[in-house]
Amino acid sequence: MATSADTHCPYCALQCAMTLTSPAGLAPASQPGPGPAPAPAGPTAPPLLDVAGRDFPTNRGGLCRKGWTSATLLNHAGRITEPLLKGADGIHRPIGWDQALDLAATAVKDARARYGADAVGVFGGGGLTNEKAYQLGKFARLALGTSRIDYNGRFCMSSAAAAGMRAFGVDRGLPFPLDALDTASTILMLGSNVAETMPPFVQHLQGARDAGGLIVVDPRRSATAAFTADGAGLHLQPLPGSDLTLLLGLSHVVIHENLVDAAYVQERTSGYGAVVRSVNAFWPERVQSITGVPADLIRETARRLAAGARRGGSYILTGRGVEQHVDGTDTATAAINLSLLLGLPGSARSGYGTLTGQGNGQGGREHGQKADQLPGYRKITDPAARAHVAAVWGVPEDLIPGPGLPAVQLLKSLGQPNGVRCFFVHASNIAVAAPDANAVIQGLRSLDFLVVCDFFMSETAAEADLILPVLQWAEEDGTLTNLEGRVLRRRRAISPPAGARSELWIMARLAERLDAPSTYSEDPETVFEELRRASAGGLADYSGIDYAMLDRGQAAYWPYPAGSTGTPRLFRDGFAHPDGKAVMVPVAPRRRRTPAAEAAGNPTGPAGTPMTLITGRLLEHYQSGAQTRRVPELAAVQPAARMQLHPGAAAAMGIGAGTLVSVSNGRGEVVCRAELSTAIRPETVFLPFHFPGAESANRLTEAATDPVSGMPEFKFNTVWVRPVTAPESARMLQTTEAS
Amino acid sequence: MSEQIVIVGFGPVAARLVDELLPAVRSGHVRLTVLGEEAEAAYNRVLVADLGVGRTTADALALTDTSDLAAEGVDIRLGIRVRRVDRARQQVVLSDGASVHYDRLVFATGSRPVIPNLTGINPDPSSPVLPAGVTALRDLRDAEVLRQAVDGGKRVVVLGGGVLGLETALAASEEGATVTVVHNGPHPLGRSIDRGGGAVLAAGLRRCGVRVAGNARSTGVEHNAPDGGFSALLLDDGSAIDGDLLVISCGVRPRTELAEGCGLSTGTGILVDHRLRAHHEPHIFAIGDCAEVRCPDPGCAACRHASGPSGLVGPGWRQAEWLAGYLTLLAEGADADVLPALPPEQPGVVVLKARGMNLAVAGDNAAEPWDEEILTAGAVNGRPRRHVSQWADPEHGRYVKMTTRGGVLEGLLAVGMPRTAAELVGLFERGAELPADRSLLLRLDGPDQLPGGGAADPAGTVCRCAGVSGAAIMTAASDGCSTVAEVSKATRAGTGCGGCHEDIKGLIERHFQAAAA
Repeated sequence: MATSADTHCPYCALQCAMTLTSPAGLAPASQPGPGPAPAPAGPTAPPLLDVAGRDFPTNRGGLCRKGWTSATLLNHAGRITEPLLKGADGIHRPIGWDQALDLAATAVKDARARYGADAVGVFGGGGLTNEKAYQLGKFARLALGTSRIDYNGRFCMSSAAAAGMRAFGVDRGLPFPLDALDTASTILMLGSNVAETMPPFVQHLQGARDAGGLIVVDPRRSATAAFTADGAGLHLQPLPGSDLTLLLGLSHVVIHENLVDAAYVQERTSGYGAVVRSVNAFWPERVQSITGVPADLIRETARRLAAGARRGGSYILTGRGVEQHVDGTDTATAAINLSLLLGLPGSARSGYGTLTGQGNGQGGREHGQKADQLPGYRKITDPAARAHVAAVWGVPEDLIPGPGLPAVQLLKSLGQPNGVRCFFVHASNIAVAAPDANAVIQGLRSLDFLVVCDFFMSETAAEADLILPVLQWAEEDGTLTNLEGRVLRRRRAISPPAGARSELWIMARLAERLDAPSTYSEDPETVFEELRRASAGGLADYSGIDYAMLDRGQAAYWPYPAGSTGTPRLFRDGFAHPDGKAVMVPVAPRRRRTPAAEAAGNPTGPAGTPMTLITGRLLEHYQSGAQTRRVPELAAVQPAARMQLHPGAAAAMGIGAGTLVSVSNGRGEVVCRAELSTAIRPETVFLPFHFPGAESANRLTEAATDPVSGMPEFKFNTVWVRPVTAPESARMLQTTEAS
Repeated sequence: MSEQIVIVGFGPVAARLVDELLPAVRSGHVRLTVLGEEAEAAYNRVLVADLGVGRTTADALALTDTSDLAAEGVDIRLGIRVRRVDRARQQVVLSDGASVHYDRLVFATGSRPVIPNLTGINPDPSSPVLPAGVTALRDLRDAEVLRQAVDGGKRVVVLGGGVLGLETALAASEEGATVTVVHNGPHPLGRSIDRGGGAVLAAGLRRCGVRVAGNARSTGVEHNAPDGGFSALLLDDGSAIDGDLLVISCGVRPRTELAEGCGLSTGTGILVDHRLRAHHEPHIFAIGDCAEVRCPDPGCAACRHASGPSGLVGPGWRQAEWLAGYLTLLAEGADADVLPALPPEQPGVVVLKARGMNLAVAGDNAAEPWDEEILTAGAVNGRPRRHVSQWADPEHGRYVKMTTRGGVLEGLLAVGMPRTAAELVGLFERGAELPADRSLLLRLDGPDQLPGGGAADPAGTVCRCAGVSGAAIMTAASDGCSTVAEVSKATRAGTGCGGCHEDIKGLIERHFQAAAA
């Protein structure tokens, strides 16, 4: 009997609504354990589920091809369905769950006994459900007793989150429902390529495009930037690394052309005078010299934003392109300052937002996976927050460790003296996705014991001593919080393979073996009930939300204190600082090394032409590609990394379309084919970051971090580019085939 | 350790120095006194012309907040002149009779406008008394004078065809004044641009409503206005240019008299070495418009080609940043000379601040593409010769010239091509090599940078989001799908961003047209 489940896509933060129909039927949801599951079939076996887009305010029935093909992975031949232990010969072999859990518990106890509790570390992910993210934070602090937990959202949302906190006192990616964009006449998007990363989002840009007001800032003419053509808006193409200066230039024009919403600034903000002084030195012609964006385009952008705010509405949206920098927090702050000068945040028809990337990138950053945080977006250093959470957990307050290390430092500490020796990785493929990936892999190899929870042999899992097989999205219940701060239900549509388990179950069983204080449930709803109480009174308050109301289809935007009706639009009555005002923080660009300067300072550097490397996504792939590279339909379109560069630059280097190129710097080397495109600036090359091994873009990125957020420098790195010679190429291809 | 630093002058460069020294003030290593002659704290002088035409406000020009600085413990004194510097006692003597001790003294006295020798104007270069209706454009009071003329829709005569003069003329004209620019030489901007660029520039100015009087030598001013003020600028050919306000924009001259008065070496400006120290005086420094970097070592290669102060604010800000680091190390008692000396400035880039016109110029643009002798001069010992590429389209107000050596720009000039100008400036400042096909740089302003519309190609992908080809859509149409919704249901095309709906519609129509034919 065919049954269906209404759920949401497994991939990005847009969380497109979808209906999964199972011809084979569904095991009763009340039966949490694994039911009878079909044996994994070949990669071309028909999917176990039919996927259909479902009407919802965010995706309006639309899906991209990642979503359409998502069911392919449920019965993929490469699926891991039993715990695997790495032998002395380096080969992973199946073992039973009891043995696996005993081994993991013993490794924890050993590390703790020999080096102390902080020798055990946990790395989480923005793809975990709220329930898992919450329980993982609790598990780390109480069951493992460690402060060393952080997650891959540090590579994603941390800069925008830090800037939002500083300015507004709270960080919710979009503080308004997504469909509010529909009526806007001006939308400024900085460093976000939604046409590739979350295609159904583009529907919400149509109103602005019709009004000629879509303005995209991107060093590439990305698919999103191309939507500004034919009178639909403007494309500003700044030099990589100059976004902050561009934003200061926009604020300069707003101030000097008297486009400031003076009443709003007076009533609702503080810090105006300092911002005026800080942007004074960035007049448009000077900004043009630094960014390459013509002065008149800067003026026009500022004027359109101001005009839009007076008509249908103006929105400013930032993405990773401007945030994943060592000055990412300041850049997001500059965007927020601009929006505050124009009176956008908290108004009826305008706003500022940041586009969350990962599926549960929003919920995942609220409930305790972050090194400095407790559930409900509470600070771990705040005594009142500690007392509240300790009471919910039923433990003395001093049992909760203090703040740990943010992701980059945590990964740098792997295997180091006083560092982490035993490491748990969840929902994350750091061997591909973390900056300076070669160094990360070395770190993983120097651990005493590495446990990875995954359903595929990801590049990180391949490094693990112990792999614990977990569930896919269609096999589990839970909640996620989408890019709007709306809490959504994920529903089980099919029974998992017999040997796979939920992370909740794994944590509960390990907690037993570790004699952990407090309780750990394997039932998502039970965990959510505890999360409600733990978050009550915090910034991200979920206490008024329950499964029953979500199952009734009620829209639930946090903060949603018990007894309230939630908050679709934040800041209408005030910002979350004690005085109700938003804080404008003056920011200034710091001096950064240019590729030319780096090349000059490194005369014996790698051979080739110094170029600026930017990285990003392709429509067909998601994050490290651990999932999408295994979907035949997606892999067929984008089977390998290709380095994009301008034909003018290519000609000077002797590179043609399809030439094998070497892209290298002191951290590593990528070898892949070249793709020529006039869509990219001539001094810049682009690499997608979805590919492993010799094509892994993050072998080249620097682990330098933003001083406020801990965000690494992903989008502005110097590389040396050259064509690979024929003999070299033969050797490399041989090596690739052998590996 | 703790040192007393005194800064003479409180313009934009001094303000940056103060900002950068604040950490040392907070840590107690530096006690800081700032002496400003104007009544106002530092403001952005670059925008004084904008203020003069009513495009910005004095409040918005502020670069610093004196109460914030006072709260940080900085001693700020405004509206005060330094009468003299007593180097022997290491103190400055002020106009109010007080004196201030210094361990380090920084001259940031800036520059003052050059007032040409004209009959009817007091020629004293250090304190010219300008008659009514005649002004320079340097400070807030000058801006106020211009503001009144512009608001009144008066006739403004701008003397001088330099950047500031042109910016003032364009802005004032756009805001309603009747403006004439009077300059000597065949075209505005003098030797920094060539004949072609000059011609396109002058035509552009006229198109913006600015009258241009070239090859003009002014000799005096006439005061026949009803209030006895300015009425006309007199030229050496006996003609006169009538107006209500004369704005003198003939360049600036470093203010060095205080330094000269205490025996420091000066050239065009106060002479300083690569660590911004006055010659043979370790306690005194100079930065910004008043400083001329030229070290005492006659053999110094970097100084052989050094020009005087640029008059641009960018180099001054870089000097301020560097000097703050140096002074902080000195105050901390550290070995300050481990700090690498300030790298020599690249030749300045000028980008015209104007709304109706776009112009960027840098370096040497004199040579023409076929000037073999000039272009090959100096090309010895493997040093490549220079090359010139040029694009002229005077009908449409566009002109580009790129002078390169080894593919790297030594000069650039771009008129009427904003994207090209922006790219060339970036390439010039980075010292980066141009694409071999120089015409790539010209096309940045052209429409071929936008993806063409055109009909969907059945062979290619029509729906990127779902990855559906035109062929698949045609097949769906022949299977009976006649609407976008039906095609979407059958193929998933159009189910992502929806951007291809028009293309799908077109393909359906094409199918049925073919079927009908």
